[in-house]
Amino acid sequence: MTRFFSLIGRGLLQHRAMMYLLVGFALFPLYTGFADLPFWNDVAIRIMLLGMAAMGLNLVLGYGGMVSFGHAAFFGIGAYCVGISSYYDIFNGWIHIGFSLVTCGLMGVIIGLLSLRTSGIYFIMITLAFAQMLFFAFVSLETFGGDDGMSIDRAEFGLIDLYEPLRLYFLVWAALVIVSLLLMFIVHSRFGVTLRAIKSNESRVEAMGLTPLKFKITAYVISAMICGLAGTLFASWQEYVSPDIMHWTRSGELMIIIILGGLGTLAGPLLGAIAFLLLEEFLPELIQAIAPDYAENWMIVFGPILIAIVMFGRGGLLGLLIKLFQRKGAS
Amino acid sequence: MTFTLFLEQAFNGFQAGITLFLIAAGLTLILGIMDFVFLAHGSQVMIGAYAAASLTALTQNFYLGILFAIPISFFAGYALEYLVIRHLYKRDHMEQVLATFGLILFFNEAIRVGFGPAALHSNLPASLSGFVYILPEIPYPEFRLLVILVGFACAIGIHLLVSRTRLGATVRAGASNAAMTAALGVNITRLRRLVFAIGACFAGVAGMMLGPLTSVEPGMGEPLLILSLVVIIIGGIGSVRGAFIAAIIVGMVDTMGRVMLPVILRSFMEQASADGAGPALASMMVYILMAVVLVFKPTGLFPPNR
Amino acid sequence: MSSPILQLDGVMKSYDALLATNNVSLDVVAGEIHALIGPNGAGKTTLIKQIYGSERPDSGRILLNGENITSLSVPKRVRKGIGRSFQISNVLTDFTMRENAIIAAQAQRQEAFQFFLPAFDDASLIEDAMVILDAVGLTSKADILVSELAHGERRLLELALAMAGEPCLLLLDEPMAGAGPQESQHMTDIISALRARHGILLIEHDMDAVFALADRITVLVEGAVIAHGTSAEISQNPAVREAYLGREDEAC
Repeated sequence: MTRFFSLIGRGLLQHRAMMYLLVGFALFPLYTGFADLPFWNDVAIRIMLLGMAAMGLNLVLGYGGMVSFGHAAFFGIGAYCVGISSYYDIFNGWIHIGFSLVTCGLMGVIIGLLSLRTSGIYFIMITLAFAQMLFFAFVSLETFGGDDGMSIDRAEFGLIDLYEPLRLYFLVWAALVIVSLLLMFIVHSRFGVTLRAIKSNESRVEAMGLTPLKFKITAYVISAMICGLAGTLFASWQEYVSPDIMHWTRSGELMIIIILGGLGTLAGPLLGAIAFLLLEEFLPELIQAIAPDYAENWMIVFGPILIAIVMFGRGGLLGLLIKLFQRKGAS
Repeated sequence: MTFTLFLEQAFNGFQAGITLFLIAAGLTLILGIMDFVFLAHGSQVMIGAYAAASLTALTQNFYLGILFAIPISFFAGYALEYLVIRHLYKRDHMEQVLATFGLILFFNEAIRVGFGPAALHSNLPASLSGFVYILPEIPYPEFRLLVILVGFACAIGIHLLVSRTRLGATVRAGASNAAMTAALGVNITRLRRLVFAIGACFAGVAGMMLGPLTSVEPGMGEPLLILSLVVIIIGGIGSVRGAFIAAIIVGMVDTMGRVMLPVILRSFMEQASADGAGPALASMMVYILMAVVLVFKPTGLFPPNR
Repeated sequence: MSSPILQLDGVMKSYDALLATNNVSLDVVAGEIHALIGPNGAGKTTLIKQIYGSERPDSGRILLNGENITSLSVPKRVRKGIGRSFQISNVLTDFTMRENAIIAAQAQRQEAFQFFLPAFDDASLIEDAMVILDAVGLTSKADILVSELAHGERRLLELALAMAGEPCLLLLDEPMAGAGPQESQHMTDIISALRARHGILLIEHDMDAVFALADRITVLVEGAVIAHGTSAEISQNPAVREAYLGREDEAC
């Protein structure tokens, strides 16, 4: 037990960047309250939720070296768990979350076991294909709105009314803190270092008498559940869910967020989500200022920015920050 | 369901498959032999389709449009390789995924800026919009038949290119040991650029032929890209023969499924829900097929010998 | 002689038309170093792979301490007591030496699948790790990243990792490959001392090392055993001279 607590303490110290970000998100509503910018609370919620999903994906991508190109599917399943529950008049948020974790866990086991038979390019493509399969499955389910999706009410969490200002914000924040702590444990635990060892050299880990698949599938399922949780909260926030939520481009977005922030780091995905969504908010405005006719076409700039990030952005934003501050172990 | 409809759909499925093969062929060389994850291959299809449609409108002649669009596709691939792709060969798969994803965003938006968000319509010349009788009493659109023939011609061309010339073997050697192959006097840089340009050219031709059949619009390439990725996976990455067989299978399953599934579903479901679920289930069929293939053969039906 | 640790019984393996392992039977007993030699392409590594479990023989049996392990997976065989070093250095290059040893130590303790126990800063694991590194004399370099190590040190680390599970059988695939004369001598001394604790099957091209180390030698040519005996017997065997040493002379 003492070892357990020493791990929390040391973990938090080791991950100052993560701690600052979490505290920052807790204090952010103070700023938006004073400055009267409630819109930015919504941006912050989106950042936290996409960041959470990216953190989940990062467990397999950054720590486990499995390039999954289909994690939007789990985000979408999580979101549809709210929609489907609401359709059957179940509005309790805890039930939504439980339903989502169980469903994503099961789907994670099935998709993971099938996909992890392959590796390399095949793995990238088969995960993409499974996500597409689910995308079309939800398009075909007319009961749940088919192509057009369905409107839903925010979930009920007992005494917490999510329609009151900031309630949803802090629910999301609390979930983010829990996920961050959980990942912090996992990454530094014996399981976590073995997972990283598998990424580094699978055959050596096998030579130690371990079965890499067992570790990979476990990480895959955990990451699917985290993405599902993020999707569940996202649906409640958006009050709407459609197949678009699991479009394959979202899987790409999650990967971009990770590489933007710093692959295989704890705080990286959250930092990447901040940068990504701010870019999405400000790039159109910037273009509006320069060439008003083309404000809608901000993607024409965003695409090349992405390419530049891949080409020159080794280590991501977190790597850059660490270099700037030269602080040891701030990841 | 009548026999006529069945036969017509079978032809349509074959035509869809052969078009998919044109896209998948270039992709399998890039993906399988050069080991480069290239997601922007769908954009090459779009570029070909736009080039053909706008040049047809400009010259008022369908054939002239196609004639000029082919070199444009070729040079689009050539230039893309020169400007961006060649800097990415040494990067890992994930970085290639992201960079080429960025290319997709760029191309779709560039087309939207240049041609507007609405779909372009390219009309067929009178000489191609008639019907031929493939069997007595069964008419089939002339243009679709032409697509099948052109597709076949291209497929044979690709096959000859890979098996009869040294291109296939050299690219393969270049991928497994670039330094050694270069030392043997092969210009790897030029070879890769050529493969990209040829791949882009075939993808462009596919786009040109799809133009009059579907709508030419921004983002048209991505569904095709994903389908051709499925084709390559089923066929075995790097195998042109596998890509051909898988393309026909996928084209057939996708097309026939769209028509047959609602009919089958109607036999035990209400018509409304059967008509709703049918097409999407058909879209799923292709991915289910892929999953089944990978469960039994994790490297596809025809994995190339390494 | 004591009962064998490893026993191969009529092992056959072919790839398409190529017969890679042709009816091989051999054994390794406790306390001996058994060297497997043969020209390039003789099927030595293929045979090691079948003992290790990454390849399955087409027919024949492989027994470890009398138990049939022919159809077991690699991790299961490792847990039954097989340690292996690979022909090409196979260590965790993104980690330090100590971290490599810690990952091996927690695997050895069957505690790798723990979510809430610390790894790299757990005192008892660090202790175990230092014991592992001490076996090859690398404790002073524990905090150096493996990617920054010299080739010889990586080979030593790999040997240490192979021994970490205290296997009854060690499979060493060319441990001297790429090593300088001094490093080879050092490695030879270390391997020689291991004899007391592990049965060892050694593949090696460095003949000085083989004759210095091996208690018995088996000669493999084109997948089949052509000779078998002590160092002295093998060096006098005319078939071996022709098939193997002859070629080696030409090469030198």
